[in-house]
Amino acid sequence: MAEEKDQPGATFDDQPLPDVYPEPHTENSAVLNGEAEEDTSAVTTEESTKDQSVKISPNLLEMLKAAESRRAPQDQDMAKAEPSETETEEMVTEALRQQRWASSQGADMAKWDSWGSNPAFKEPHWMQIQLTDQKQEFNKHPTKTGRRSLSHSISQSSTDSHSSVDSDSSEDGSSPRDKLQKTSKGFSDFCIKNIQQAEFGRRAIEIAQQEMPALMALRKRASGEKPLAGAKVMGCTHITAQTACRWAACNIFSTQNAIAAALAERGIPVFAWRGESEDDFWWCIDRCISAETWQPNMILDDGGDLTHWIYKKHQSLFKKLKGIVEESVTGIYRLYQLSKAGRLCVPAMNVNDSVTKQKFDNLYCCKESILDGLKRTTDIMFGGKQVVVCGYGEVGKGCCSALKALGAVIYVTEVDPICALQACMDGFRVVKLNEVVRQVDMVITCTGNKNVVGREHLDRMKNGCIICNMGHSSTEIELTSLRTSELRWEHVRPQVDHVFWPDGKRIVLLAEGRLLNLSCSTVPSLVLSITATTQALALIELYGAPEGRYKQDVYLLPKKMGKSSA
Amino acid sequence: MSDPALDAKLEVKQASKEVKESENVAEKYSAMTVSKNSDMSMGELSSAFSAVPTHKPVKKQIQFVEDKQEFSRFPTKTGRRSLSRSISQSSTDSYSSAASYTDSSDDETSPRDKTQVNSKGSTDFCVKNIKQAEFGRREIEIAEQDMSALISLRKRAQSEKPLAGAKIVGCTHITAQTAVLIETLVALGAQCRWTACNIYSTQNEVAAALSETGVAVFAWKGESEDDFWWCIDRCVNTEGWQPNMILDDGGDLTHWMYKKYPNVFKKIRGIVEESVTGVHRLYQLSKAGKLCVPAMNVNDSVTKQKFDNLYCCRESILDGLKRTTDVMFGGKQVVVCGYGEVGKGCCAALKALGSIVYVTEIDPICGLQACMDGFRVVKLNEIIRQVDVIITCTGNKNVVTRDQLDRMKNGSIVCNMGHSNTEIDVASLRTPELTWERVRSQVDHVIWPDGKRVILLAEGRLLNLSCSTVPTFVLSITATTQALALIELYNAPEGRYKQDVYLLPKKMDEYVASLHLATFDAHLTELSDEQAKYLGLNKNGPFKPNYYRY
Repeated sequence: MAEEKDQPGATFDDQPLPDVYPEPHTENSAVLNGEAEEDTSAVTTEESTKDQSVKISPNLLEMLKAAESRRAPQDQDMAKAEPSETETEEMVTEALRQQRWASSQGADMAKWDSWGSNPAFKEPHWMQIQLTDQKQEFNKHPTKTGRRSLSHSISQSSTDSHSSVDSDSSEDGSSPRDKLQKTSKGFSDFCIKNIQQAEFGRRAIEIAQQEMPALMALRKRASGEKPLAGAKVMGCTHITAQTACRWAACNIFSTQNAIAAALAERGIPVFAWRGESEDDFWWCIDRCISAETWQPNMILDDGGDLTHWIYKKHQSLFKKLKGIVEESVTGIYRLYQLSKAGRLCVPAMNVNDSVTKQKFDNLYCCKESILDGLKRTTDIMFGGKQVVVCGYGEVGKGCCSALKALGAVIYVTEVDPICALQACMDGFRVVKLNEVVRQVDMVITCTGNKNVVGREHLDRMKNGCIICNMGHSSTEIELTSLRTSELRWEHVRPQVDHVFWPDGKRIVLLAEGRLLNLSCSTVPSLVLSITATTQALALIELYGAPEGRYKQDVYLLPKKMGKSSA
Repeated sequence: MSDPALDAKLEVKQASKEVKESENVAEKYSAMTVSKNSDMSMGELSSAFSAVPTHKPVKKQIQFVEDKQEFSRFPTKTGRRSLSRSISQSSTDSYSSAASYTDSSDDETSPRDKTQVNSKGSTDFCVKNIKQAEFGRREIEIAEQDMSALISLRKRAQSEKPLAGAKIVGCTHITAQTAVLIETLVALGAQCRWTACNIYSTQNEVAAALSETGVAVFAWKGESEDDFWWCIDRCVNTEGWQPNMILDDGGDLTHWMYKKYPNVFKKIRGIVEESVTGVHRLYQLSKAGKLCVPAMNVNDSVTKQKFDNLYCCRESILDGLKRTTDVMFGGKQVVVCGYGEVGKGCCAALKALGSIVYVTEIDPICGLQACMDGFRVVKLNEIIRQVDVIITCTGNKNVVTRDQLDRMKNGSIVCNMGHSNTEIDVASLRTPELTWERVRSQVDHVIWPDGKRVILLAEGRLLNLSCSTVPTFVLSITATTQALALIELYNAPEGRYKQDVYLLPKKMDEYVASLHLATFDAHLTELSDEQAKYLGLNKNGPFKPNYYRY
């Protein structure tokens, strides 16, 4: 799952982060501190987007454009509802939609009330990412080579599962950076939103623990040996109930504040809160690294930001590391580049490609979420429907088997002959999209490629055809081609758009071509458990490995470890 | 592994495993052809058992082979080795269409002593009876229909003749399917000499048909071990013709060349090896630094593996069980031991028919996969009392023990889909208190003193080989892979392949698959230039990194 391959430039070399970090802003410092203060109008956002777009990489530009046009209908909505244009209002609108979205999750019904009265809501993941892009416009930090989104996570399981906890209720405007907080033990080496939420977060962690039996089992099995005794692990991951271990957040929106609080309460230094600014983000990472008397010797990273920071800023520290464990595709890509350039001076472990994780992230996870996502958004009945699945990799296999089980008639398109033959043997017709596009009721893309479904295909689809993306990033469906004047867009409910052709034909577009499984479904805890367990094992392996087993290169998790995780 | 003594031991061990395997094939043949000749290979000892029908206890047969080797005077130095080493299923032929019905000729003289001439006046071959050529030609034509991939390869490459100048010696099963492969190689410009890798598996009429077209074939059904090596030698050692490629199945030919004709061996441009055993031997040779030519391991190519194991077993488990027992699967409780490719295939097939499937597994990754696919993962002991069918496919030994067999319920079926006949502890059932009753070919009822019956299929040997057939389509995959491996090795620029064992390049593997797509009328999508650039791939493949797990 490489949703962020669309930032191909995000390597260490061609996107060096500013050398001047961290520095206070010179201008516009009022908008520094998170989304609560993001009160500039959406119109301005659009303008600034345009202004900046020249410097931005084409892919990012595409994303921004998509985001921009997504704003448009929202603005209309708001105009109808209330002419006020504050960000808060928009958040409320979003929140209302969100409620609907969340209602089917049923994870934590009790929190409904508080959600309703809360302006600062959790949003679906993709929405967040796009907000991020826009927000960066406000953040005047002098990044030179264009902006990168702060959320790097590609692997699904590294992207949040927000379902069980939402903790953003405190409307405390002051940045956590300016506050001094203490745990009950008098420990103050952390920086989070509100330490008082610890209790709540602890409960959430306990809930997650129940669904993550593997990690608990590992804890029990290994706590006798303490295989990580002496290891000073530093991490940069999403902080949700499931990760519940470590410290700086890799995504400015994914932090569950309560969890961070609970961790801090336990004496783990955590530097993260929900809705950090980019500046905050780097500040957190830096605080995380440069504690006196504490030198990290292991890194657990998701997205490669932390690694990059240490590599750039603390060269001497970097050399003393015993190992890096990297989870996301982007981060791994960056590590490989570093390794190729011969500048990777510590062993790194790629946990993204470990068997267990791959299978679970892709095959099993998508098998469930395709049905979930489609049902939630469209309430479609699958029996007898003709579906074309583009791509028969792990994700495609999962989608096909799930749909087949419900009695859908499935076609597959594939470029790789081996995968195509597999599809044949599994009983699916392998076709070209052109051949079936007139007759299918549903198009699902999961190729990892771009422009798999083009405007010419869309033009020929039949009325009411549903189109969605399970692959990666939002490039698979050529959306920009639909943003033309003769087509009318109608936003019917969250994540569902109807696109009308002049002749009245209607196509149902889900999640605006972004990942259906992230936007309209959730990642099960079990899957996250696999990831977390894999990470923990990778850390143990790297730390406990005898001198010389791992050279300065990027490794896959040893098969045996993958097995243990299963 | 590096210790030579240890190596030898290993080889012997391997060999003895193979012996069992070869018995499998042998028995299958004898079962199918009910001919007098089936005793021939048993040598003198078999007369003692002549009263017993073709199916003898496995153990005894194994001893046969070992005994028989005493009589073979051929000076093999490295201890005994069985004659057929093929483990890979598709190398063991599909006999269905061509159960050598012409074999009933009572001609007792060995083909070695006869001089035969084909219609072109050539005598450079040795088969049972050249007059059967017509028959064999028909067999080959039938096989061609299901091997459209090879035919289309023939068509596509005929003009280029990528194998022009190649002199290939081959040692495989000689069946109609192999014949299609051989004729494809010839059509692509190669000269071929062929011999059989298994003393029982040759289809005489096919060998005759090949000889008739001018391919030098040295093989007949029911060779002795001495004949076997004689054939290989005749194949290699001929005046005015030096082979430069080897296509082997089991490693016997390679071994013979390596030992006997080291000078010829050094000039070989490449070896293509199909079987697990042969590949194992090549790796040993390579480790010892004695492999002086590049070799290609086609056994582990992705496409072939998938078809040999997953897809082939998915069909043959049902076929095998139906043919032998006529069992109804719906609602039956089945335990499948092992959830590898074979196990996955079995489970999928049984689930589709409405069976309740349990899985036993030792590998946690596979165990977890079984869970996610909706099968209960259990220990055999937990459910042994309640299941109706036990299927083993672990590749291990003694997975089902006497202890467990004792606790099975009346009428339950036990069979093996894994490899060799070690998975079920059949020997432990050969005790006086148990009555064995042969109810039909490949089906034994074992009756406990209290009247309980357990149905044992194929005496614990491979069900898919003994009671089912390998579809021609699967063999087509293998044959195409071999042909492409030969082309690749022969045409590779100097230096691409060193003196080592290689896997088939991914691109070739993909080509094998794409040749077979036509069968399903499948239409492959092509990447646009823009898309290829985005993914950083060549438009024509390879599409996946080498570590990709399909």
